[in-house]
Amino acid sequence: MTQTCQSSSCLNGNPASTLQCPKCDKLGIKSYFCTQECFKASWAVHKAVHSKPDTVEEGTYNPFPSYRFSGTLRPAYPLSPRRQVPAHIPRPDYVATGRPTSESKPHARTIQVLDEEQQQRLRVACKMAREVLDLTAAHIRPGITTDELDAICHAAIIERNAYPSPLNYREYPKSFCTSVNEVICHGIPDQRKLVEGDIINLDVSLYYNGMHSDLNATYPVGKIDEESKKLIRTSRASLDAAIAICKPGTLVRDVGKAIEPVAKANGCSVVRAFVGHGTHIYFHCAPDIPHYAKNKGVGVMKAGMAFTIEPMINLGGNWEEIHWPDNWTATTIDGRRSAQFEETLLITEDGVEVLTAGAPLNLD
Amino acid sequence: MDDDEVPYVCQRLRLYYSDLIEAAAPPDVAQDNKTVPLTLICGFLGAGKSTLLKYILTERHGYRIAVIMNEFSDTADIEAKSIGLSDSGGAAGELAEEYLELANGCLCCSIKDPGLASIEKLMKKKGSFDYILLETTGLADPSSLAPVFWQNSEVSDIYLDGVVCVVDGVFGLQQLRGDSSSAEEPGLSCRQVAGADVVLVNKTDIAKAADLDALEGLIAKVNPTAAVHRTTRGHLDLAHVLNLAAYTSRPHVHDHDHDHGDAATHHDDLHGVSSVILPVPILSPDRAERLERWLQTLLWENKLPDGSAVEVLRCKGVWGTVEGATCVLQGVRSLYEITRDEQRGWDGGNGKLVLIGRGVGAVECIPLE
Repeated sequence: MTQTCQSSSCLNGNPASTLQCPKCDKLGIKSYFCTQECFKASWAVHKAVHSKPDTVEEGTYNPFPSYRFSGTLRPAYPLSPRRQVPAHIPRPDYVATGRPTSESKPHARTIQVLDEEQQQRLRVACKMAREVLDLTAAHIRPGITTDELDAICHAAIIERNAYPSPLNYREYPKSFCTSVNEVICHGIPDQRKLVEGDIINLDVSLYYNGMHSDLNATYPVGKIDEESKKLIRTSRASLDAAIAICKPGTLVRDVGKAIEPVAKANGCSVVRAFVGHGTHIYFHCAPDIPHYAKNKGVGVMKAGMAFTIEPMINLGGNWEEIHWPDNWTATTIDGRRSAQFEETLLITEDGVEVLTAGAPLNLD
Repeated sequence: MDDDEVPYVCQRLRLYYSDLIEAAAPPDVAQDNKTVPLTLICGFLGAGKSTLLKYILTERHGYRIAVIMNEFSDTADIEAKSIGLSDSGGAAGELAEEYLELANGCLCCSIKDPGLASIEKLMKKKGSFDYILLETTGLADPSSLAPVFWQNSEVSDIYLDGVVCVVDGVFGLQQLRGDSSSAEEPGLSCRQVAGADVVLVNKTDIAKAADLDALEGLIAKVNPTAAVHRTTRGHLDLAHVLNLAAYTSRPHVHDHDHDHGDAATHHDDLHGVSSVILPVPILSPDRAERLERWLQTLLWENKLPDGSAVEVLRCKGVWGTVEGATCVLQGVRSLYEITRDEQRGWDGGNGKLVLIGRGVGAVECIPLE
């Protein structure tokens, strides 16, 4: 894991760096700069990181007080009680035990080709998920908690007689994922109020009529800085570049080749640990689709295959992740921000259909 | 247990490591820049794997080696298990036993193996190791584990260095042929040899010379690419099991008694597992692409161009291109990688491509037209 200079205006091209900001070190944050000059040059922007870590809301607490967080975000517990899903709504097989055992069987580990009927059911589930994401995102504003967003998302899903796929998937406690600032993915909705300047990714998955759909997008909370805008635009652009090469005959391993150059050109890096995945009968199944170039991904795209592409892009050169002790929340190792976009795609005879398509990104 | 299920072998692991007491200082972040090779150790029941591992741990070699012994058969049960810590404090090289705590749900959509993630976590706490040896049980099929670790090299500092198989010098011949009453499924012994980069024939002090020769002959037929060494009570030169670079280096193919020329060299199959060595002419870009597509059908769809079924466990190859580059193929199960080396040049002549697996006997040539 090479630490590179984290200055967005680095004078030396963000080389590998070992010098750390002493104030950050005292606060338990890892910050790397290549030289004293570079550090000085970025001080005006950098020092904001030293301001008090996000205060935990009145009546809430940080359940991991001795954990060395890489950034300023803190969990705000307690989590709200587990939400109920009306009995008439069909559950995916893993809900009873929390364990998706069917996903490790050969059928799920072989790339499936969906027939017309299955494709149509998937189309419906994807359109529904997009609706839910859009309406949940409309509630984003400073002051709302991620738990309140979870309640809105959950209500919207069950209103449509669908099941929120993440709920009890491997014992995940909530109905969708909310990933703020330095959280790469799988943030758990809690009592933290969104703050102006935050960025937040909402990741919605639902199960309807036997099909799982999956999509996510990163949104600004009020006014955000230019660097965050660049990050969000870069993430969306990298996903669009990947979608553009999807058609029968494209190799799974080439998706990363389309994504990585877009990230690199904008001073960002591509997260490696998390991959795109087949999604239809199963929540997560073959193919596994790495988002970085030079990978050993298995498979060739054929009409009827359905999967997600969901690049996670970090500001700066560090692509690695660390996990909070909640065993879900993944963050960057340097506390810098990360953004993501995801769509569920269906390969057609001559190209690709973006099943979860929504309005184009507009940050202005 | 369903053999086809992807195993989560690292459910319960016991980790031993030498030089524990020395590593008192918490690790520096800068130290993390080192990559760490991991070797998979498999072997027949009773072949002497544990003795070998104990030897590696206690011998004064100056390396910090972590040995992970898997005491339980692989299972698809992914629940987190954490186990206690015990300190044995021996003489040469302190042995400390530690159980690995496993991550839970966070690894969904992650290609990072849970066991690997735990090892990384441990290394952060205890400092980096020079080598990691992961023992699989006698029943494990290494070729189902190797791809997991090989792919994980892309997201981790830990990379797959190679697979070592320990074979019983006394009973190995019977076990491979499957005509002993040993508890092991005969086909599994062959698969273990098929997936290995190094085969250690153990107990050579008490085995009969003729048996050993026959055993080595059989091993070479199933797997012409593995290096074979004889050992006694697991004593051996560590250079034979460490720093193998078996997934990165140019493969060696032993086909001593065959003059292959332009024809494929087949070996009889043993319980369905066999090998074939195919000649590869110097490739133009078009032909190189056709070779790769043929390989993809073989590895990803498990079938030959004529539709017959095939299961490739391991493949290796080296050949030249018209532009004068050397291409090296490494593959295990459905994963493969072809690396080109322009600097190396190619000294003319045919290259070789070896397939080891089931049904490879039907492969006569690579369709390059």
